[in-house]
Amino acid sequence: MFERRLYFHFDWLLLVVILVITGIGIAMIYSTTYVTLPDGGHAGPQVRTQLYALAIGLVAFLVFVALDYRLLAEHSLALYGALCALLLFVLIKGSTQMGAQRWIPIGPFNFQPSEFGRVVIALILAMYFGENRRGARNPGDLVAGGIFTGVPLLLIAKQPDLGTAVTLIPVFLGVTFLGGLRMRLLGVLALVTVLVLVPVAWTFALKDYQKARIMTFLDPEKDPRGEGYQQIQARITVGSGGLTGKGFRGGTQGQYKFLPVAHNDFIFSVLAEEQGYLGVLTALGLYLFVILRSLQTARLAKDRLGAYLVGGIIAGFSFQVIYNVAMSAGLAPVKGITLPLMSYGGSSLIAALASFGLIINVRMRRFTN
Amino acid sequence: MTTPTLSDDRRHLTTRLTVLQGIVAGAFAMLAVGFWVFQVAQREKFEVMAENNHSRRLQLPAPRGVLFDRNLKVLVENQNTFNITLDREQAKSNLSDTLRLLAEVTGTDEAVLKETVNRKRREPSYRPIVLIENATLEQVYAVRVRHYELVGIDYQEVPARKYPSSDLAAHLFGYVSEVNEAQLARSDYSGIEPGAQVGQAGIEQSYNKLLMGTDGDRFVVVNSLGREMRETSVTPPKEGRRLQLTIDADVQRAVEEGFHAAGYNGAAVILDPHNGEVLSLVSLPAYDPNAFSGGIDRATWNSLNTDKLKPLQNRALQGRYSPGSTFKIAVATAGLQEGVITPDFRVHCSGGASFYGRYFQCWKKGGHGTVDLRHAIEQSCNVYFYTVGNMLGVDKIHKWASALGLGEKTGIDLPNEVQGLVPSTQWKRQRFNEKWYAGETISVAIGQGQVSLTPLSMAVMMMTVANGGTRYTPHLLKAVDDGPGWTPVTPPPPKDVVPMKPENVAAIRDGLWAVVNGAGTGGRARIVGRDVSGKTGTAQVISLTGARAMAGKMDVRDHGWFVFFAPRDNPQIAGVVFAEHAEHGANAAPIAKYAIETYFAKLEGKPLPTLTPTPPTAVPADDPVVAPVTPPAGPGRSGQRP
Repeated sequence: MFERRLYFHFDWLLLVVILVITGIGIAMIYSTTYVTLPDGGHAGPQVRTQLYALAIGLVAFLVFVALDYRLLAEHSLALYGALCALLLFVLIKGSTQMGAQRWIPIGPFNFQPSEFGRVVIALILAMYFGENRRGARNPGDLVAGGIFTGVPLLLIAKQPDLGTAVTLIPVFLGVTFLGGLRMRLLGVLALVTVLVLVPVAWTFALKDYQKARIMTFLDPEKDPRGEGYQQIQARITVGSGGLTGKGFRGGTQGQYKFLPVAHNDFIFSVLAEEQGYLGVLTALGLYLFVILRSLQTARLAKDRLGAYLVGGIIAGFSFQVIYNVAMSAGLAPVKGITLPLMSYGGSSLIAALASFGLIINVRMRRFTN
Repeated sequence: MTTPTLSDDRRHLTTRLTVLQGIVAGAFAMLAVGFWVFQVAQREKFEVMAENNHSRRLQLPAPRGVLFDRNLKVLVENQNTFNITLDREQAKSNLSDTLRLLAEVTGTDEAVLKETVNRKRREPSYRPIVLIENATLEQVYAVRVRHYELVGIDYQEVPARKYPSSDLAAHLFGYVSEVNEAQLARSDYSGIEPGAQVGQAGIEQSYNKLLMGTDGDRFVVVNSLGREMRETSVTPPKEGRRLQLTIDADVQRAVEEGFHAAGYNGAAVILDPHNGEVLSLVSLPAYDPNAFSGGIDRATWNSLNTDKLKPLQNRALQGRYSPGSTFKIAVATAGLQEGVITPDFRVHCSGGASFYGRYFQCWKKGGHGTVDLRHAIEQSCNVYFYTVGNMLGVDKIHKWASALGLGEKTGIDLPNEVQGLVPSTQWKRQRFNEKWYAGETISVAIGQGQVSLTPLSMAVMMMTVANGGTRYTPHLLKAVDDGPGWTPVTPPPPKDVVPMKPENVAAIRDGLWAVVNGAGTGGRARIVGRDVSGKTGTAQVISLTGARAMAGKMDVRDHGWFVFFAPRDNPQIAGVVFAEHAEHGANAAPIAKYAIETYFAKLEGKPLPTLTPTPPTAVPADDPVVAPVTPPAGPGRSGQRP
């Protein structure tokens, strides 16, 4: 199955950059979760968990590289069914942490199915639009794609995990955009979203704390101890890092827990604090490289299925990166959107590595028939 | 609808991928700019904010300077107590819950805690405020075990004042408590931060600047829960200056024991006539200054303030009383120094005499016969002093009384001294816009009428007579320890030096000696070989007619004075004992006797005497309470004028 020729076209550069980003993430997790004791200290338990996840993620990566993406796409409906089943299962029996039901405990680990939503959605949408020989041009296609995306989105939003749910939308938009969706339709879609969904969501769907977060984002000083706290602290964390940063484990905002969930949603803030603007530029450069390289892969793809698949995955990835980085500087409302590859979280890392397996898969197989 | 060709398709895809690339690159560029604004352009602002986030300055209160007596015996020191504090920045969001829980676990009143927070709301929010001063160990433990629930509540070990037990010299030391807003507004309190403990009375107040020391700081790094992570720098506090007082602890204790044994309230001051050093200064009833260090509770404060006996008043320098017969010393001095009389000037006393158409009685019904100055002092003959006073006129009495320090502020280094009053023609004109009647002088000559004086000024009079005319400023500070060792303090200059003729001084001393050692009223202060010289005096609390009206409603028994120095020749100590409602000065004399015995025993290295209480005996029929037929006019009196 894994021919020498394929090995020759393997995108080593992308893999290396992805691993570098993951490595930076682990270093930052080490820094923020370090347990300081009077006589020294030790690394937090999160580092080990993340390393395990990296190992599992590399296995998943290999699996998703090795299997032909067309084979996977052919079985995307089954995968889609499995995803929906798992999400339903989470809703019914999942373990509850911090007021949300997102996890399925597997031994010592908690498996979070929603993180795999993007890959599965990308697969099924790419399959649907890539194999119908006309792309996604008509309102009907849009509705079909919308339903495919909407079911897991609602299930995830119900957990409630609005942040992760929202990341499915760019996957849908990415695939349909590349699929040739008419600009007029796209415009209508945007208009409908703004005019209908926002007020409806505000009235019916958003919980009070979610509304509060959005209001707070518009004016963080209004409530500096409550909802605005994270945002103000994020800005302080980033701003006080300066050009060159406070040095590894030298940060005060993350180290002393002024910034909540620093090792998770705000990992980039810690990077900005400890490594400064230069570190920020480096990390942004690495992420930009990954995205542009992936878009290049989409361009090179042998078929529309491959192009759409890569486009969908990378659209979701880009959205997550841009949103999280903006949020980590207090430039976007605080939402539970992790920074893929860097944030602490096993499911997130495994899903990200698996999805890059698919992207490298597409590039590697661009000449095969 | 035509099916697009593959190449069309491919071109289309390429275009859209380019659009996506553009969108992503644009977004990343905006992020790069955003981070540049925060991390480079506004870096300083955020650095300060981050610093304020995790850096806390904790004050390390400086212990106040230790107070020693003249023999370097420790009088007032410090002991560590605990304060329970609130960091409002930490507790902001759930302050009321925190206060409720704190009140519950420490057994305090939630309303009081809330009021404290409210009262200090204007202080900078980064500075922790003290909620419970002088907390018990139980309270501290209660706070410690609930550290996670009591957000922003912490405890702090602080030095607090420890005063001697049994309220010794309470008014002399004064007390400390938190600086109040009125004081903060004053220039002499500049540099003192809100929340600081400052002296509010006595030595603690007058030497507050020396005693306060300099607070240290501790800068610490805290985490988001306010937990201390590490220390960044420490400036240790600098203890306040150690002060050596002029007080002799044993003499001080002897005087207070004497009062307690006799059951009197009152005041006493004992001075060194060579320099004005205060050996003892007593005011009773006293209060416990320890009750103030570490915060006085409201009930105690209210009871101190509403007590009819006024325990907060320092009677020695804030009480004004009619001096009675002790004033005759000033009149004798005036007569002699003005040359109006000589020691041999004689007056015949037949039990009374007429002046300006009115008859003034002597206290002795049958009269003293013919007496000279020495015997007039010994016998406290009113007629003699009526006569001398009449010859002098009120202004010359005023002049010499003032020279001896009467009716003047002594300038002692204690706060809020009041000025006594010796009337004069000028005073009457200014006060009442009335002419002085020569008849009024007669009452003044025996210390009645408007004459009202502080016990301290009486002590100064005795000191001045004892040393022959130098009116030293009474003072309490002998030396200051700046760290390397004791530096003597330059005593304040004398208020006045009016050399008295030696023969005049000798005559007065002889008379005073005879009061104690002869046929006079001061026999109960007699000490063999010490030549104690003194004079008793009795001060009416209220006029005789008033006394009858008020009988049963208030204590109308007369006050007793005993002024003294010892020995007669080259006196070593001089002072006053003022015993409230002792009915007669003779009952104040034993208190002085015990103090003098203690002083000399100490001076000569002998074992200190023990007090053998002498119960007040029947009042000897001597002093001029019943003197004038017509009570002298004055404010608060019956208003009849001679």
